[in-house]
Amino acid sequence: MSTRRHFLKLTAAAGLAPAIASAQGAGRVVVIGGGYGGATATRTLKALEPKLDVTLVEPSPVYTSCPFSNSVLANLREISQQEFRYDGLKRAGVTVAATSATAVDAATKTVTLADGNRLSYDRLVMSPGIDFNWGALLGYDEAAAQKMPHAWKAGAQTMLLRSQLQAMEDGGLVVMSAPANPFRCPPGPYERASLIAYWLKIWKPKSKLLLLDAKDAFSKQRLFQNAWAELYPGLIEWVPLSKGGKVISVDPATLTFTTEFASHKAAVGNVIPPQRAGAIAGQAGVADRTGWCPVEPVAFESTLRPSIHVLGDAAIMGGMPKSAFAANAQAKVCAAAIVALLAGRKPQDPILINTCYSLVAADYGISIAGVYRPAKGQLTEIPGAGGVSPLEAVGGLRGQEALYAASWFRTITAETFG
Amino acid sequence: MRRILLAVLASALLLAGPAQAADAPPGASSCTGCHATTKIAGSVIPRIAGRKAADIMTFMREYRSGTWPSSVMGRIAKGFDGQQTDAIAAWFAAQPE
Ligand SMILES: Cc1cc2nc3c(=O)[nH]c(=O)nc-3n(C[C@H](O)[C@H](O)[C@H](O)COP(=O)(O)OP(=O)(O)OC[C@H]3O[C@@H](n4cnc5c(N)ncnc54)[C@H](O)[C@@H]3O)c2cc1C
Ligand code: HEC
Repeated sequence: MSTRRHFLKLTAAAGLAPAIASAQGAGRVVVIGGGYGGATATRTLKALEPKLDVTLVEPSPVYTSCPFSNSVLANLREISQQEFRYDGLKRAGVTVAATSATAVDAATKTVTLADGNRLSYDRLVMSPGIDFNWGALLGYDEAAAQKMPHAWKAGAQTMLLRSQLQAMEDGGLVVMSAPANPFRCPPGPYERASLIAYWLKIWKPKSKLLLLDAKDAFSKQRLFQNAWAELYPGLIEWVPLSKGGKVISVDPATLTFTTEFASHKAAVGNVIPPQRAGAIAGQAGVADRTGWCPVEPVAFESTLRPSIHVLGDAAIMGGMPKSAFAANAQAKVCAAAIVALLAGRKPQDPILINTCYSLVAADYGISIAGVYRPAKGQLTEIPGAGGVSPLEAVGGLRGQEALYAASWFRTITAETFG
Repeated sequence: MRRILLAVLASALLLAGPAQAADAPPGASSCTGCHATTKIAGSVIPRIAGRKAADIMTFMREYRSGTWPSSVMGRIAKGFDGQQTDAIAAWFAAQPE
């Protein structure tokens, strides 16, 4: 007895407490959504605590990555390079339920699956990404997305937009619309405009791109605008909110975008619609009236339902943007916190980094970075750190950042999917 | 008695596996989004797993002060104080090279 107590004291001092505690009673964790947040969470949970019973619920056998999908539009990559499977998760001992979650009952701690099965959990992780607010933009629904693709979930939509661009006559007008904040990947619309312009300049040099925006400012704005002036003079026109950029309605039959001031008929139209957390979050009761999910800033546990952790795009993460980098970083923090909580320990206060690289051309990269920690109940950016790439680039910096962007993608996808 | 205890401890260590993110100090698990603990084919971001803690500290100090030029590390290093950086450097140093 005294030996055992001594042993526990010693192991705790050696930082081994979680393995010991779980040997006495492992936990069950269910993860909904196998994207950057969810897949990372499952692998990290298994790495930290191999005895945990970890089940991923994800209907698609193949995950198609949004990061670098704008390069697919510009023919710089193939869609197959965006695709990842779940074999690496299975190798790590994760059980994969290839179906979707249809209901979450926080009171009985159970998840109902579309295949009729039911899973119970000690802790639930939800990383369902986004869904679109169909109808928030008059005329834009699922059928309209077949005429005016959003391509804001990668895969068939990415290929549809690419084929429309390729089929367009030289001289045709490409119109894009960007939503108000918050939305998935704040620099994404501007990277997309850049890479479409890169491709137009080579293949359809008489064409132009009009970007209608529901905002007056955007991520890395000066870097993007300087690069547009330098690389694509006169090709991209950005219309901010205050100049009538907000799109009120679209007509998929005529590919027309209507703002308060004007109508624009497109040869190719790309609508990036208003968004909210993936629908299952609303069903589970973890989304609030904004459509997004409030969480505390240490373990990302829902402030609305106990024992449910929400990660990635679906969650309200204070100052952290909705990015794959952030979802992956949050998942690692959340997994460590869950292991601690299941072992009866208090999770440590985390520090998180976000970095979003954007390509303005094949060999021209820029970035924004931030470092975050919990303060006043939410993740808050640490002042004095972070920021964007310098406006004046010396010594091939833009080329270097394009290479680092590609390296980041290899690293993050290996860490997420194995 | 002592020997038994050590044996138990050693097997507990085996169970726990290699140095893990559970023991990772705040911030370290975000570094691995760019600096993986495993080898990544085709990545030009320098590997830091298994490097000497003192060397990682030196880099971080110079990134923070701007003495050593960088594309992104200057902006990241400024988010960590000396003590936090120390802990992260020790953790990376303990990872297999
Ligand atoms: C064009 C574009 C470019 C981008 N570029 C970058 C970039 O360069 N860098 C960057 O960091 N980020 C980038 N992003 C953002 C990035 O894609 C997201 O932030 C990231 O995917 C968020 O991860 P997540 O886990 O929250 O959601 P997701 O990755 O979307 O994963 C959600 C998963 O949940 C599943 N799911 C949903 N509902 C259910 C259910 N009921 N049951 C089971 N499973 C369900 C879905 O099938 C999906 O696989 C980009 C986004 C876009 C659109
Ligand atoms: C967004 C990607 C990214 C993240 C996140 C990141 N690094 Fe780096 N790191 C780089 C790049 C790129 C370099 C090369 C220098 C540069 O251009 O900034 C580098 C260089 C380094 C070096 C110098 C290695 C050498 O041999 O030159 C060290 C040490 C380092 N990073 C430590 C860290 C630590 C510690 C963290 C977490 C606190 C971290 N990095 C997070 C991308 C990243």
